Amino acid sequence: MPGKPIEGEKRVFMTGNEVVAWAALAAGAEIMYGYPITPQNEIMHYWTRLAPKFGREFLQTEDELSAGFTTIGGVLAGKKAFTATAGPGNTLMQEPMSMAEAMRLPTVVVIQQRGGPSTGTVIYSQQEVTMTTLGGNGEGMRIVYSTATHQELFDYTIKAFNTAWKYRFPTFILGDGYQAKAREPLTIYDPELRGITMVPAEPLVGKPGVPGVDRPPVHLRNTYNVEEELYELVGSLVRDFERIAPEVAEYEAFGLDDAVLAVVSHGVVSRACKAAVKELREAGYKVGYFRPVTLRPLAVPALQEAAQKAGRFLVVESAQGQLARLLKDALYGSTAEMLPLYKPGMGITAEDVVARVKEILG
Amino acid sequence: MAKVSRILLAGEGGQGVQSVAEILAEAAYEEGREAVYIPNFGVEQRGGVSIAFLQISDEPIGSPKFNTGDIVVALSGRAVSRVRQYVGPETVFVYDSSIEVEREELPSQAKRILAIPAVEIAKKELHPRVFNVLIMGAVIRATGVVSEEEAKKAIEKRLGYKFAQDPKLRELNYRALERGMELVAQAG
Repeated sequence: MPGKPIEGEKRVFMTGNEVVAWAALAAGAEIMYGYPITPQNEIMHYWTRLAPKFGREFLQTEDELSAGFTTIGGVLAGKKAFTATAGPGNTLMQEPMSMAEAMRLPTVVVIQQRGGPSTGTVIYSQQEVTMTTLGGNGEGMRIVYSTATHQELFDYTIKAFNTAWKYRFPTFILGDGYQAKAREPLTIYDPELRGITMVPAEPLVGKPGVPGVDRPPVHLRNTYNVEEELYELVGSLVRDFERIAPEVAEYEAFGLDDAVLAVVSHGVVSRACKAAVKELREAGYKVGYFRPVTLRPLAVPALQEAAQKAGRFLVVESAQGQLARLLKDALYGSTAEMLPLYKPGMGITAEDVVARVKEILG
Repeated sequence: MAKVSRILLAGEGGQGVQSVAEILAEAAYEEGREAVYIPNFGVEQRGGVSIAFLQISDEPIGSPKFNTGDIVVALSGRAVSRVRQYVGPETVFVYDSSIEVEREELPSQAKRILAIPAVEIAKKELHPRVFNVLIMGAVIRATGVVSEEEAKKAIEKRLGYKFAQDPKLRELNYRALERGMELVAQAG
């Protein structure tokens, strides 16, 4: 029996891609399926280097469609399976993940966003929000964690496996090229040591016993003959998703009580926003900070409260309003004003946010 | 905002700017400080100007890239024009004096502009291979982001296996670091 990938806990200094590989190992992922694309390549590289030492496996497929479907195959066979992709690879990934949504399969996909549309840049963006939260044909019944730091990349990659296997919805870690390629310090750990119990995987097909006699038959479908059947399925997906949403949704906020403006952002951009809001508050500006950690489902009641308190949002993102669109949907009926700081495919610094807030508040 | 030291290094592929940033980041990390290092990367495998963004602070750091550096180092003619946008009125701009550049091509908005003969000294006094360590010495002296001692430890950590085979290399690297520090001291 190979030892644990991480004994106890350890302070390390590494790239985000390396962090994801370690987190997947620590979470007990058994196999990664993947196809190379920048900026997620090193997840595969580190995984292929580390996995054999701990009895884990890797399969390189011919493209991202195949990487997604083989991940589904791994999950059906009862393996904790995951894949990672970016940009145009994420586009192809939507087809298999739509199937995972239909069949309630606990797939885990790590996205390191790059610039779009199309090949765009291999560098960075937050332009895969719409696709990752709502992509594929279907209703977007999936869970998306948007991480901001290497520590969160580690924590939430572990959590994603538990969320997926507990709730049986496709689960995504939404990172980006900056998080993928930057090096920064974090603590990696054995989840057990932190009181995290990993939800065990189990085969979804080929179970023991006679179907219909010893156990209910497994009937996984993605094809339906009549509208009513599909309608019933989608209804149950939506109901289940809405039921778990309050349990799954996470956010981070401060400074809202006296705020006349709330800066709303997600992922790596929230680091700049947090620094900016702290600086502005020290300078006497009544500015609050709100950051959804889960982009799907959103923490709707908390968001509504923030909108009511601040009355005005400054939405900051490295995309042309993809986060804002999700917020507007969640806040329908609210009179809160939404002001933009959109820089699609470009990094955003604390200085950019401070300058924009001062422009708004005078 | 907490004081963050922002360092930008730019040069041609092979000049070792990425290793300098990485070693400095590790030195800061070993000192128990926050550090974020990110290279610029694109579709090109060769041929572009290589840029390293490095930030060191005592508190968590915001975005991995930044608009303006405290110190901006350009090690080639192309790098000088490429990094101009990162130079502000508080920036110390350092470039190699062997670069043939017109005065108006230099970022005149900088607080200070230092020309140091790093290429020449690495070639004549030391060895071209330790050019980047010399640059590292210059950055340390200009910013004080990490101590000389911690920088030496980080070099040891990275190149210790080579030093074990040839102890003279250690001496060469340390001398390069010290010479880099001297160059900035003299230029200032």
